[in-house]
Amino acid sequence: MTKNSGWWYGGVIVLLLATGVIALMAGTTWLGLPQLVQAAREPGSTAFVTVFSLRLPRILSSLICGGSLAVAGALFQAVFRNPIADPSILGISSAADFFKLGGALLLPWLPGRNWVMAVVGGLVALVILTSGRALADPYRLIIVGVALDATFVGLQQLLSSGAAQVSHSTFNGTTWADATTVLILGILGLIGALLLAPWANYLKLTDSALKNVGVPVNVIRWSLLLLGMYLAVSVTAVVGAIPFVGIVIPNVARRLVGHDYQTLVPFSMLAGAWLMLAADTLGRTVIVPSEISAATMMAIIGGPFVIILLQRGRGFHGMSTR
Amino acid sequence: MECQHVSYQYPHQPQGLHDLTGTFPPGQVTTIIGPNGAGKSTLLNLLAQRLPLQAGQILLDQQPVTQLKPKVLAQQVAMVTQRHQLYDELTVREVVATGRLPYHGLLQAVPPAEVTPYLAANGLTDLADTIMQDLSGGQQQRVWLAAALAQEPSVLLLDEPTTYLDVHYQQVLMTQLRQLAAQGMTVIQVLHDINQAFRESDWLWLLQAGQLVASGTPADLRDATLLARAFATPIEIVDVPQLGPYIVQIPQ
Repeated sequence: MTKNSGWWYGGVIVLLLATGVIALMAGTTWLGLPQLVQAAREPGSTAFVTVFSLRLPRILSSLICGGSLAVAGALFQAVFRNPIADPSILGISSAADFFKLGGALLLPWLPGRNWVMAVVGGLVALVILTSGRALADPYRLIIVGVALDATFVGLQQLLSSGAAQVSHSTFNGTTWADATTVLILGILGLIGALLLAPWANYLKLTDSALKNVGVPVNVIRWSLLLLGMYLAVSVTAVVGAIPFVGIVIPNVARRLVGHDYQTLVPFSMLAGAWLMLAADTLGRTVIVPSEISAATMMAIIGGPFVIILLQRGRGFHGMSTR
Repeated sequence: MECQHVSYQYPHQPQGLHDLTGTFPPGQVTTIIGPNGAGKSTLLNLLAQRLPLQAGQILLDQQPVTQLKPKVLAQQVAMVTQRHQLYDELTVREVVATGRLPYHGLLQAVPPAEVTPYLAANGLTDLADTIMQDLSGGQQQRVWLAAALAQEPSVLLLDEPTTYLDVHYQQVLMTQLRQLAAQGMTVIQVLHDINQAFRESDWLWLLQAGQLVASGTPADLRDATLLARAFATPIEIVDVPQLGPYIVQIPQ
């Protein structure tokens, strides 16, 4: 916790509220504050439908998804002891996406199909990622992860070629059903992350140091890894794979509120929620009536961020320590 | 603590330990000496259960350590290693708090009040909120020792604890280890400085090529022929005024 943590927390909450209000107003039709109030008073009006059936579920989904992805990234970074580890860069999200598509083609009758298949995909990718020597070697981890990601993206393209191009990884058309699913899955995972945040701090010590104090390292590692995977694939199941939130947010958060995961996880949650909402709101307003998907927005923001992060000399080995 | 027929073989490597049997007297400082590759650190890692025991038994109060739950073992045996690594920032207080983990559930936080006495006892109160990475090697070593002592162990293992310390702090540490032993703690360390080992220990283990060549008091082992054979170099014991017997290697 740094001296200014309180201010940064305050700042991100103000940003969240302000962006939330703007997100409610902005879109193909601009609704000012009086119109928002009127919409709330008159159920059934056009403004009511726009705000409560179109914009609100979309806003809530993007908030929860952003928070989930940022926290998933923070957890992966703690487990892999690597500042750019993240489910999206390591192929977890694309594996989930591929299995989701496979499920739609092969098992259309399966209840909760998208989520179940996304979890299966996430598990498959995790097992491949952790079965070899990648766990002990940060360079190998990233290279294996990137290869895994490319493989699953390729497989997915193979499956979907011929099918009508579906718009991927966007909050466009989010219904209340989607939003409710995201809300339940996300909030459960985020509560888990808040409870287990101290474990992420333990993993700053070496495995042998942890064993010396009787801490079951593998229980901690796998709990956090599975929780991070769950958060990331739940987003993939409903919205699709969205890159970089999990890298950008925790790394900025470390600068702002320090390296203690008990502070870092809740802050990442708020900041991730804000970033996703801001990216989505911007994406759907800059080229009205068309829009830029959240995944594209994040690729544009996140790609350069990672390049700067690594070019400025932060190594793969351990987190930056000033 | 004692070893009974302890053996350990590294995969694909000639080094290892062969059929070690011996005791570490309780309430005394025992130092393991021997040439590089003799198996000193391996032995220490086996005692701490950092390496799995392949053959033989290590007994703690007549009980095999392999039968102890990790948490119970951590309440009995603590280790300060030669090189500590941290993957990310932790404060001094947080590191010392890890020493209290064996006494709490996995989801329980360590109460700050439990950590304070160990900070104070090791002169770390003023550094409590400093990030470990901002400390000197010697200061870090003190923090790791404080964390190990926070485990309230009956056996304290130290792998070359003087490496990062200047001569003054080496002496401070040796005095502290003596005091801990006087309070009943079994201290087992590996030292490279053979004269320091002879001067600061109650008991010595001499290892060579994975075997226990001799164990006994410094007076028992102060034998030029024995040491010359173990270290494979000519050794003479000279009398230095005010210092007593001093082991010197004779240039060939």
